[in-house]
Amino acid sequence: MTRPQRWLIAALSATLLLGSTVAQDPAPVRGGTVTVAISADPPGWDPTLSTSQEIARVTYGNVYEGLVRFDRDGAIVPALATAWQVSSDGLAWTFTLREGVRFHDGSPLTVDDVLAKFERARDPDSGHVNAGYYAAVVDVRAPDERTIVFELDTPSRSLLYNLARPDAIIYPQAVAETQRSQPVGTGPFVFARYVEGSEVRLERFDGYWNPELPYLDGATFRIIGDANARVAALQAGDVDYIGAAIPPEQVRVLQANPALKVASGTATAEITVAMNNARAPFDDPRVRQAISHAIDKDVIVQGAFFGLGTVIGTHMSPSEAYYVDLTGTYPYDPERARALLADAGHADGLTFDFELPEPYAIERRTGEIIAQQLREVGIDVNLSVVEWGTWIQRIFLAADYDMTIIGHSEPRDINIYANPNYYYQYDNPRVAELLAQAEAAPTAEAETAAYQEIARVIAEDAVNVWVFSPANTVAVRADVYGFWVDQPTPALDLTQVYRAP
Amino acid sequence: MTRFLARRLLTTLVSLVLASVVVFGAVLAVPGDPAAVILGMNAAPEALAAVREQLGLDVPAPRRYLRWLGGVLRGDLGESIQYQRPVARLIGDRLGVSVPLTLAAALLATLLAVPVGIASALKRGTAWDPLLVLASQVGAAVPSFWLGLLLILVFAVGLGWLPSGGFPGWDVSVIRSLRALVLPVLALGLGQAAVMTRMTRAAMLDVLSQDFVRTARAKGLARRSVVGKHALRNALVTLVTVLGLTLVNVFVGAIVIEQVFSLPGIGRLALTAIGNRDYPLVQGVVLLYASAIVLMSFLVDLSYGWLDPRIRYA
Repeated sequence: MTRPQRWLIAALSATLLLGSTVAQDPAPVRGGTVTVAISADPPGWDPTLSTSQEIARVTYGNVYEGLVRFDRDGAIVPALATAWQVSSDGLAWTFTLREGVRFHDGSPLTVDDVLAKFERARDPDSGHVNAGYYAAVVDVRAPDERTIVFELDTPSRSLLYNLARPDAIIYPQAVAETQRSQPVGTGPFVFARYVEGSEVRLERFDGYWNPELPYLDGATFRIIGDANARVAALQAGDVDYIGAAIPPEQVRVLQANPALKVASGTATAEITVAMNNARAPFDDPRVRQAISHAIDKDVIVQGAFFGLGTVIGTHMSPSEAYYVDLTGTYPYDPERARALLADAGHADGLTFDFELPEPYAIERRTGEIIAQQLREVGIDVNLSVVEWGTWIQRIFLAADYDMTIIGHSEPRDINIYANPNYYYQYDNPRVAELLAQAEAAPTAEAETAAYQEIARVIAEDAVNVWVFSPANTVAVRADVYGFWVDQPTPALDLTQVYRAP
Repeated sequence: MTRFLARRLLTTLVSLVLASVVVFGAVLAVPGDPAAVILGMNAAPEALAAVREQLGLDVPAPRRYLRWLGGVLRGDLGESIQYQRPVARLIGDRLGVSVPLTLAAALLATLLAVPVGIASALKRGTAWDPLLVLASQVGAAVPSFWLGLLLILVFAVGLGWLPSGGFPGWDVSVIRSLRALVLPVLALGLGQAAVMTRMTRAAMLDVLSQDFVRTARAKGLARRSVVGKHALRNALVTLVTVLGLTLVNVFVGAIVIEQVFSLPGIGRLALTAIGNRDYPLVQGVVLLYASAIVLMSFLVDLSYGWLDPRIRYA
């Protein structure tokens, strides 16, 4: 397919998306502002220097853009590149840079800004996060003023996906050092003011490359650390929009309020009961299978989270393009669990440590229920809560633990099962093989098939117990439209948000 | 008086140096790595090492302490990892919220507690006394964060009179900033007032039962004069201690209240800094808390000497 045709399709699908919104919502209105609640000050505002999700929530699509980006459905659409194509051997990706793009400081976007960005991104000493995303890239060059070519030594279909992530954004080469405190991007909003511990103000960028957008004149992100205080601020009218982390027990209260709209969509996290596969008793697959059979995931989601989540059966959330439902692999069956335990020589019971991470309420609550469910099949866990720094240091980095529970919120992160040193200590070369197949896949269908096969392999090996993917609940004032409900990537993209009476 | 002052000053300085060692040691003892917090769960080891080096964390701890202490003595608290700004400037900005909040809450507590406490002591044996005791008991038992949420639900969500939280900044609007502090001051001050009422009542009862009060009454002095001149003057030493404690309690209690009301004060700064393992900032803020407490007890000591000359020579 030639470049203009590709762009046409992207433009068409964007129009269709807009069209479907118009069918239910009033026509977009120019002007007005919204106040959005976020939960913490991030470590600076540069998404290339920290993976903090609060940075992405404020900046992704609003302040910063990359060559490509995710839309609200998780599809990869043009941003600073208008078109792209991959060579038939998969070793060269060519992007066409959009014309007439200016940064917020007035300087034009050039290929040099793009080249400087990816030179930094590929240098592990630069402090740029996720240098590994570009491991297959051997060179990035600009044959002319509007063309960028990524040259690879092995095919990498995930390159395009990685280029849409929050850290793949492009800022002016000249002011790269000051992005942490003063972000300058190409997005529809200018980063106008940051009062630490208090708020961030964005203002409409009049020089945005798409003259139709944004609709709003500006937005304020209020930093409210306490989840209940965020909900109170929404109810009091001090905040118009909460886009993430609404406590499940508050959702009904908000739903009953006629001044508000509440919607639930998918998000990228998998609540995972991680087991140390290298350590007894988890080195015996029958024990891991028994634990999988012993956990009633439906009871957890319905009983403890008011149904606000999707039960999963592998390391894959419903927000993923290649999602496959594998909940039937080891269904809830306490009889089978007891039989497997007896078979593995634990007929008299089994004891091990189960450590819950202190900062995460969903994980702690889930873990406590699971401990109870395990007791019913004769597994007596020593439940304890560990401080976050300790969790990272001892459990995650040193893999010194029996069982723990954590939400893996990175999208498209099933590749962690190819790493035998990861804290699961799961060693199956088949996953790495399949991953290479996915990267070299000739078609999108073949890529999806390879990823789903990885999902199946780890599910059958019962590496971990994947409990559920928490829903993303959004609550806004009734006159706010155009906000994201699903979270294919952590974002509070205000590009198409508007207020209509 | 000079010797008394000099001795107190020396103890204060020693306390501060000890506090600085404890602060630095405590931060070291907390597990966790600022580089890991910044780079997230999937960071490569090389990237972690690079960030650690940038942050100066590859230097051994004793040398880091001396370097930090040297800076502190020159008035330089270092630079925050998270905000990339001098720690002293960050703290200065936040004091603009925490100091008015603390002083207003302490003032509210004092204005409520001292008259009520004295009244309660004087009304001992009447129907008022158990009522006041009960009210102060309940007030002291209610956690301030719960009271804060309750105030938000009633005055912000229900009545819509006051903002539910946040702080616009003195430079943006003085009126709106004052309005933003009303509920936090109430939440912080009311609980403290309850504690202080009980202490005032106890101090007054103690003095009122002493011989010189009985003598004063016996020689026919007016009740106003007995309470105002003789009893109150003697209860002041205890009351000043209580006031010092109240100021410290309110300053520390503000950590919770600032979180509930999303106020950009010192307490929120401390919590954010600890969460992000922002070592220079944690050290700076904790040192500030330690200094405030040490300074407060120094001032309370000084006031003893002034209020009761016997203490100077003790």
